[in-house]
Amino acid sequence: MTRRNASFSLADWTARNRWIWPAVGVLILWAVLSVVTSRFSLQSLSGVAMSSSFLLLVGLGQMLVITTGRGNIDLSISSVLTLSAYLALILIHGSNAMLIPGLLAIVAMGVAIGLVNAALVVLFRIQAIIATLATGYVLATGYVVANRYIPGFNIAPALHLVATQRVAGVPIIVIVALLATAATAFILNRTAYGRSLSAVGQNLRAARLAGVRTGWVIGIAFVASSTIAALTGVLLGAYIGGAFLEMGQPYLLQSIGAVVLGGTLIFGGSATALGTLFGSVLLILIVTTMQIAGLPPGTQDVIQGLVIIVVLALAGGLSLRRAGKASRTPTDAGASPAEEGVSD
Amino acid sequence: MTVGFVSRDLVETREPARTLVELSDLTKTYGPTCANDRVSLTIARGEIIGLVGGNGAGKSTLMRMLSGETAPDSGTITFSGKQPAAGGRYHAGEAQSRGIRIVHQELSLCDNLTVAENFYLEAPEGANGMPGWRGIYRDRARAALEAVFPNAGVNVDEQVSNLSIAVRQMVEIARALTAPGAEIVILDEPTSSLALDRSQQLRAYLRRRAAEGLAFIFISHKLHEIMDVASRVVVMRNGRVVWEGETGEASVARLVSLMGGDASLKARREREAAPETGPGRPMVRLTGRMRENKSDEIILHAGEIVGLAGLEGSGQRDLLHGIFSGSRDAGVALERGVTASFVSGDRQREGVFPLWNVLENISVTRIAGCSGLSLVNRREEIAAAMPAAERIRLDTGRFRSGILDLSGGNQQKALVARALACDAPVILLDDPTRGVDVAAKQDFYAVVAEIARAGRLVIWYSTEDLEFLECDRVLVFSHGRINRELTGDAIGEKAIVDASFERAGDGKEGAARTAQQTHSRAAERLVESAPFVSLAVVLAAMAWANPTSLSPFGLDLLLSPALSLVLVALGQMFIIGGSEIDLGAGAFAGVINVLSATILVGQPGLGVLSIAALLVIYAGLGALIQARRIPAIVVTLGASFIWLGIGYTLQPTPGGSSPEWLTAIFSVSFPLVPTSIVFILVTGLIAWFVNRTPVGVALRAFGNNPQAMARGGWSPIRYATIRYLFSGLFILAAGLSLTAINTASDINSGNSYTLLSVAAVVIGGCSLFGGRISPVGVVAGAITLSLIGALLGMLNVNSDYNAAVQGLLLLVILAFRALVARGGEDE
Repeated sequence: MTRRNASFSLADWTARNRWIWPAVGVLILWAVLSVVTSRFSLQSLSGVAMSSSFLLLVGLGQMLVITTGRGNIDLSISSVLTLSAYLALILIHGSNAMLIPGLLAIVAMGVAIGLVNAALVVLFRIQAIIATLATGYVLATGYVVANRYIPGFNIAPALHLVATQRVAGVPIIVIVALLATAATAFILNRTAYGRSLSAVGQNLRAARLAGVRTGWVIGIAFVASSTIAALTGVLLGAYIGGAFLEMGQPYLLQSIGAVVLGGTLIFGGSATALGTLFGSVLLILIVTTMQIAGLPPGTQDVIQGLVIIVVLALAGGLSLRRAGKASRTPTDAGASPAEEGVSD
Repeated sequence: MTVGFVSRDLVETREPARTLVELSDLTKTYGPTCANDRVSLTIARGEIIGLVGGNGAGKSTLMRMLSGETAPDSGTITFSGKQPAAGGRYHAGEAQSRGIRIVHQELSLCDNLTVAENFYLEAPEGANGMPGWRGIYRDRARAALEAVFPNAGVNVDEQVSNLSIAVRQMVEIARALTAPGAEIVILDEPTSSLALDRSQQLRAYLRRRAAEGLAFIFISHKLHEIMDVASRVVVMRNGRVVWEGETGEASVARLVSLMGGDASLKARREREAAPETGPGRPMVRLTGRMRENKSDEIILHAGEIVGLAGLEGSGQRDLLHGIFSGSRDAGVALERGVTASFVSGDRQREGVFPLWNVLENISVTRIAGCSGLSLVNRREEIAAAMPAAERIRLDTGRFRSGILDLSGGNQQKALVARALACDAPVILLDDPTRGVDVAAKQDFYAVVAEIARAGRLVIWYSTEDLEFLECDRVLVFSHGRINRELTGDAIGEKAIVDASFERAGDGKEGAARTAQQTHSRAAERLVESAPFVSLAVVLAAMAWANPTSLSPFGLDLLLSPALSLVLVALGQMFIIGGSEIDLGAGAFAGVINVLSATILVGQPGLGVLSIAALLVIYAGLGALIQARRIPAIVVTLGASFIWLGIGYTLQPTPGGSSPEWLTAIFSVSFPLVPTSIVFILVTGLIAWFVNRTPVGVALRAFGNNPQAMARGGWSPIRYATIRYLFSGLFILAAGLSLTAINTASDINSGNSYTLLSVAAVVIGGCSLFGGRISPVGVVAGAITLSLIGALLGMLNVNSDYNAAVQGLLLLVILAFRALVARGGEDE
């Protein structure tokens, strides 16, 4: 009896701390890589960490949007990222003096895009995917046009420092990403906004009737997502030393992938910043592994797509069980026969 | 536990030949609540059983077990005279084949289909003889409606959404009653929206059919109807049958007392013994719209329990929501500083947060009232929740349990504690005791009384009239207005029922909805005409910019790039018809483009095989999405990487060539009419035709009302697969057309079609919430979008701006539609 209880509480613990799965995944994959390639070292780990940091940053924003529930996803992230990298080249133009005003302008742009997305979703009740898909298209025109006006690939020295230098051996960008993760985790777990966000994602109607200002909560998530994406675009541009049209593309799927791999519920209501951290690292490790294995880029895409679908299909069972549990309460008149069958 | 399903040829009962089915000792528990406790019931041919009982008495659970939707924990269901079907376990399909039909309380019609098509869904096996299958069901629907409701004059080709609630209910009833093979028909509150004469027609029809040997179970709160139509009455209470007898032995008064009238009366007497205090300070004023006589103002005070009574849907909920949001146009004025908290009885949809524990569920309102960055502290949280929980006797030891682990009654207490834990002086109760067992109800009544005594105003809407005996004052609603105000001893079931029906004049119910309906119809027409109007505008603009563009040659040139978009959009249309979106549509067209321009050219056999394999995978995605209930957006986005990856692997840079036969097909020329127009028309026609086949009708039905379809025995996974297969075929054709038209391939050639196809479907007048599909509109929408690019070119606008214009157009149309449909769909 006690044994059963012990195993139950372990299952309970992993259900509450879903970040453990991607963490275990990272450990296994890293161990395998170290053994198999023997070249895979701390050195290459820091490369993985830097790549993961950019993904982690946009992933945190995406996580907030996904947590608002009802299948909400921000598909404009990749366009915001590319556009802001171009704007950084044009506005900051490689001078430290222009850094602050340039950054302010880019942040303002991020906030403005977030507000537009939020207005479309909250006020006009357009599905988030369609609204953000469309704003993403409009922004894509923006960076295609911006591409014609870039004065050259000059990066402000201060920006270059942040994007590429290290403090005590740790890349600054990694520290930035870790701080952002800690801040997000704090907001999610310890503040009124975090609670309200979870409530909105679990049950929008109930949240409104419980007095949660649902429109604000959803709107803030969208604004946060595009603002973070804008800042990440500047950093990524500084890191690669310029900008190119497809630079945001991988982040479309990977930002969602990192969130889902991390254990945040795709249907909203429950987010884990730590999970998104491990999810980002895992996804980048998978990509790195494929590169080390010499897989052609096409195959890499196929495998990334497969990983997302398989993880979702497996995690789908998790929320199904939740739903099954819910449907056994006496209030639910229409419990489906299939689930009834499972329950007895 | 024994769960049995036995079938015997000979059953030893009083009248073996007449017994149809015997339910014995059926028990069903949901968590701590026993919904049915060893219930037995025998149903014989020619009987009309009147089944009565209060809400939560267990009637619906019993009927769900009889119709196979719910499996009993124990007990047996025994059919006589028939062999058991293979497979053993009793389920909905089995019940269906044994002739059990059910008219659900919540309507199960698909309102995007016509009346005749809804008759098809009930009995699809008649549609084998294609074409002209519609005619069969049209006749069947007409005959059925005429038989049950003579002279109703329902147009069987009318879309159900255009019918009034009363007519919908008539269609639903006629459909179930006349379904082929029906033996036992369960009618759950069939007359709730029917006018008196229609209700009489129904009862007359039931008597006629009972005389022919059918059996009926008639569930109704309208006890005089039960007394009129039933041959036998069964009374349920707290999950048990408490009385069963011939109708002659019953009376309305007797049934009311059997259903549990006495228990609440006792509670009321206890409450009255409590010391009375004078009225507290005024809190809510009800004015204007709420009253027949506009100058009359009703003032609600602190310390009162005010009941909102009347027939369901007479405006009680509107008042609650009006007070909650403090909106003046609902005829509500809150005193300064007065706020309200809301406790709903529909806990699943409007109450609990399923991922949270009890404590978090209690504190949410208090925390949501704080500013966003204020800290949440566990100790503070407990300190704030503790007094509220103690006051309503909720076990504080269960704060850490998941909210769903609690019984319905305790969940309800947690929700009340949530309201008490914040300072709102007004507490709104929306049918709070739904699904709560009787002991917990009595407990709850005491809690409410205590809350009021402590100085809050409680406003209580209930569907159980007996609960109004707990109130100090009752406002009786009728047709959206407060019709009567009852206080003190005047509060009684009879007075409430009388006042609810006073202005009712049965027939008027439909009239209230017509204004709203004409509005939504005008909006619908606007949406329907949008694609054609915009196409005409674009064509006119092109003719103005360059007159030669409308010549046959010019049109052909302009429209041939449109064909691929038309095809992708039609594919997307099927997915959106199931209220999903395919974010991999463009990439799928791209990968087919690559396959057909590379492998298909060199090795036709392998090419065909690989294209077929991709199609199977594509359809499999539909099955996966449905089986695991995962969001289609993310799956199809993931799939888009798979399609692109395959394409890159096969052909890293653009190239290839078109198979000769493919080029030949797409360059067929027709006399007089440009080739591209012919192709576009043909594909549009095919989609239109598919949409009208029985399978197409079923797909639309799934998009509209998947629960009803699953209840009716249709397989969701099979139809999800078919949906993706159809979609895949259209997108496949799009990929081939890209190859033939460009005579080369590029994996990125399809990318822009993903957004454009969604935009075309939206412009085409389809609903993103599924079910409403319009192939012709989609074709027009796709052509419009594709011409916009050409038009911008003619106007010397750089092609870089195409995406922005198309994206903005989509947003403008959606925003415009949201404004038109404001107040229509809510979440």
